[in-house]
Amino acid sequence: MDIDDILREVDPTFHAIPQEKRDLQDLTRAWVAERCAPELLQWPANDLFERVNENIKRQIEKVEEMTGDMDPKTNFVLIVLQTELERFKYLVRSYLRARIAKIDRHTLHYLSTDDLRSRLSEMELAYATRHQALLHNHYLASFLSSFPPALQNLNDTAGNVTMIDAPDLDSAVFVRLLRDTAVEARDVDVDSSTGGQENAIYILRWSDAKPLVDAGSAELV
Amino acid sequence: MALPMPPGLTHAEVAFLAEMEMVTIVPRQRLESIDLLSGQTPPLRPPHRAQLPLWLALLLKKQRRANIVPPPWLHPASLSEIIHRETKENPQTFSPPPPPPAHANPHDPGHARRLADADADTILSPPFQPSCTASAPAGYLPYHWLEVAEALLAHAGDDMAAPAGEVRSLLRDLVEVRAAKMRSSTSVLGGAENGLMELTGVGAIELAESRGFVLGVVDGVRKIGASAEAARREDEEQGSGIHDDGGSDDDMGI
Amino acid sequence: MPMYGDLGNKLVQHAKRAQNLAQLPAYQTELVRAVTREVRDLDRDVASMLEPFQGSFDPAAEQATACTLLVNHLSMRRNKRCLLAYHRTRADKLEELVWSGSDVVDLAGQQQAGAAANSVPAAANDRQSSSLSPQEEDYVRQYGDLLAAYKGQWTDIDLTGSLDPPRDLFIDVRVLKDAGEIQTEYGAINLTKNSQFYVRQGDVERLIAQGYLQKLG
Repeated sequence: MDIDDILREVDPTFHAIPQEKRDLQDLTRAWVAERCAPELLQWPANDLFERVNENIKRQIEKVEEMTGDMDPKTNFVLIVLQTELERFKYLVRSYLRARIAKIDRHTLHYLSTDDLRSRLSEMELAYATRHQALLHNHYLASFLSSFPPALQNLNDTAGNVTMIDAPDLDSAVFVRLLRDTAVEARDVDVDSSTGGQENAIYILRWSDAKPLVDAGSAELV
Repeated sequence: MALPMPPGLTHAEVAFLAEMEMVTIVPRQRLESIDLLSGQTPPLRPPHRAQLPLWLALLLKKQRRANIVPPPWLHPASLSEIIHRETKENPQTFSPPPPPPAHANPHDPGHARRLADADADTILSPPFQPSCTASAPAGYLPYHWLEVAEALLAHAGDDMAAPAGEVRSLLRDLVEVRAAKMRSSTSVLGGAENGLMELTGVGAIELAESRGFVLGVVDGVRKIGASAEAARREDEEQGSGIHDDGGSDDDMGI
Repeated sequence: MPMYGDLGNKLVQHAKRAQNLAQLPAYQTELVRAVTREVRDLDRDVASMLEPFQGSFDPAAEQATACTLLVNHLSMRRNKRCLLAYHRTRADKLEELVWSGSDVVDLAGQQQAGAAANSVPAAANDRQSSSLSPQEEDYVRQYGDLLAAYKGQWTDIDLTGSLDPPRDLFIDVRVLKDAGEIQTEYGAINLTKNSQFYVRQGDVERLIAQGYLQKLG
């Protein structure tokens, strides 16, 4: 018996929201966040995408089975199932591609520290590592290999100018508070700290919004 | 490039999100429960009402298998009330979003408890709060108000409580009143006294349409003021700053 | 004699232009070679300038030399940045083609197969391919393989599918002229004139374009 079962026994309203609905909320929230944040966000740790992908696979199989033995023109249920399937596939596709676009844009940055690397899924890490190697080899083959050895790296930092591009973490974003919480915001002339109310929508620098989003107290919109 | 789009949701993506709002329908035909990825649908038994996501309600409506019950806030009386509030009572701000849904707290009889506020659970937010069903409160615009209203007018105009033309014209007034507020908000954004810029009550489409401009202004102001800001922080760090620490609680109010 | 850096600027201009073009312009083989040569020349200059000092160069004592060294060093780094920007911009374009399912992968693949089969340089008679350097052709092929591998982990999602939210997956159509039987995902439908169907839009898009069917509503 795991902790969830115990909690459910003690508190019948625990997880009042069914798993399917929570997954869709989490999936949707992750998608919106990834489309709005200026940097790559953490790959969900709770197997959300693995689970959703598995469910999609099962649903596709179900549709295929049903297609075999039903009248095509009248089967409304099939239409409903397929319509929903396309919606889920779209969400996952757009989410994954938003992430790959960010990884491609700043590959060296996301590979530069363990902390940043841990944001990528295993597959994304493999993709990013290989993509970076392909690019470096392409540069070497095209011109870099005839450079003096000291100039053949891609992460020069001489002259205090790093060659590793990073996203602008102070870019402004819209956030909605999910619960009452204190909001700290920096600005040019003055910094502020406010007791924010649930449902309030603010414009913040991403660097100020991130702690709230990470804590689950706010979401990007 | 894997995703050739700037940050932020497009108009079409916001409309897609809004189609996940739950709405109330009155079925015209029986339909057994369907095992969807998002959970089981309720079995449909005319004339009993049921709640379904908007995309599915629209599918049923197009096939004349159901009618959609418009949410109370979309009634002309409610829209007029909101317009009055937005123009007369709070001419500066957006009217407040609907209050979060609550239910009785079994551990504290007599006290209401927020739906799903156990820390371990997912906190639902639009489009997953029931703010477009028949039991949603009148007088409040939910986050996806414009997209849901547009979809219902386009595909279920005959289910409206009033002639669709009347609803449409009220909505148009509302869009204009609020667009003017969004525009005037950007003039405040530049020289905000308090660092916090609030847009509570704004709708998803309204955000999507002004995102590039509003956030562009905010980022521009930050970049122009970057050296002044860095100098101020240095001052403050050395304790010689004459600046106030900025801990003001005033909401800026736009 | 041209200033150091002029050629690098040209490369950056080429890169900027390429960003806004639908098709990839021809690879600037000569220019790339020239900028690369400049780097090597600069490096050789640096080495020969430092040689007399036998590793005991003191910038404070030799300010003129120190200044020249600094300029040379910055020029080399600048050229490197220009070359990187030029190649990265083009690589981005190539990746975009791979994502959009463009036949650039096939193209590179066919060429390799062709070259292996009859040892004729196939690139010579293909205009589109000639805008890619041989290294770029390699890159496109390898990136195509990488993307295919990543896509393969998500087969049910169709990662290269549409980025527009799904709308009207199924539509009502009226048959305008007899089109016989078509195969859909659900089986066969017989399209006789004036009949009406609710079908998957993707199954009938061609027939609508050809005027056999009319989309309703």
